[in-house]
Amino acid sequence: MIGVGKIKQYANVLDKPLSKGKQEVSLSAFAFLFSELVQYNQTQVDNIAELERRLEDAGYAVGARVLELLCHRDKGNRRETRLLGILSFVHSTVWKVLFGKVADSLEKGTEHEDEYMISEKELLVNKFISIPKDMGTFNCGAFVAGIVRGVLDSAGFPAVVTAHFVPMEGQQRPRTTILIKFAEEVLRREASTYNRIVKR
Amino acid sequence: MIVCVAVVGHQNNPLYIQSFTDADDALKLHHIVHCSLDVVDERVNNPKRSGPTLNETFLGLLYPTENYKVYGYLTNTKVKFILVTTDLDVRDVDVRNFFKRFHAAYADAVSNPFHMPGKKITSRTFAERVSTIVKSFGFSSAG
Repeated sequence: MIGVGKIKQYANVLDKPLSKGKQEVSLSAFAFLFSELVQYNQTQVDNIAELERRLEDAGYAVGARVLELLCHRDKGNRRETRLLGILSFVHSTVWKVLFGKVADSLEKGTEHEDEYMISEKELLVNKFISIPKDMGTFNCGAFVAGIVRGVLDSAGFPAVVTAHFVPMEGQQRPRTTILIKFAEEVLRREASTYNRIVKR
Repeated sequence: MIVCVAVVGHQNNPLYIQSFTDADDALKLHHIVHCSLDVVDERVNNPKRSGPTLNETFLGLLYPTENYKVYGYLTNTKVKFILVTTDLDVRDVDVRNFFKRFHAAYADAVSNPFHMPGKKITSRTFAERVSTIVKSFGFSSAG
């Protein structure tokens, strides 16, 4: 119906203004891109460790940029200096922006002081991936581990981050755990800051 | 009148330095920016005990020299923005606004997949946006 309503009719589709767009990308588009990324890297390497390292490096670049972007968008943001602060930032804010929901759980490792784990029932990047038997313990979650490492490293908390499968009873697919092991200097810094506050 | 803006990485390596007057010696401005890094480090490592100002991004007036004022801004990734100006009466809110827009331009420049973190920012778009922001800063604070 011509002329009804306030919507402006454009003569040419090219004159229409670009919409701001949704903040989301379709899962299938991302899954396609990610599968191509994995396949491309697979043709370039001979062994699994190298493949994991490449995926992690790709994730690292993403993580560094995500941190810059998030800090800018989050108005009134404060720089995180505490370990727990940055961990909860990764666990909620980063996960929410990347995957649309917060991570399932954040735990402190029992064996070592410097280990923390973020677990997820099913990583979004692994949703359409099944690992062939001859690839052993390879996990495409190495990409997400790289993202986490990028975020932590850029924020000043150097760490070694890896992704592991943890089999759960009663579920067909194993749970994925991102294991974060902080560097020595981070723990020392954390210990000295904490002690300083306690002594007062 | 903004004389110079600079972006310094987290290892105190310069990522982007741009001066906006021909009169002054570029080297002198580089030197001023370099000195202000010391002040930034001092503020970061010995925070004032008051809680709320502990982790602010905007560092405020770093130090006034002969005829310049230097303002600093620290992002979460320890990247510092330094602003050198000759204005005598800049309002605090103007400088904060400037840094907010500068941060937006910086975040966009870094999101470029061809940009290597730690290397100089070579994007022309970033340079243009920065000069636009600098020009509009002059107008808004002239009132």
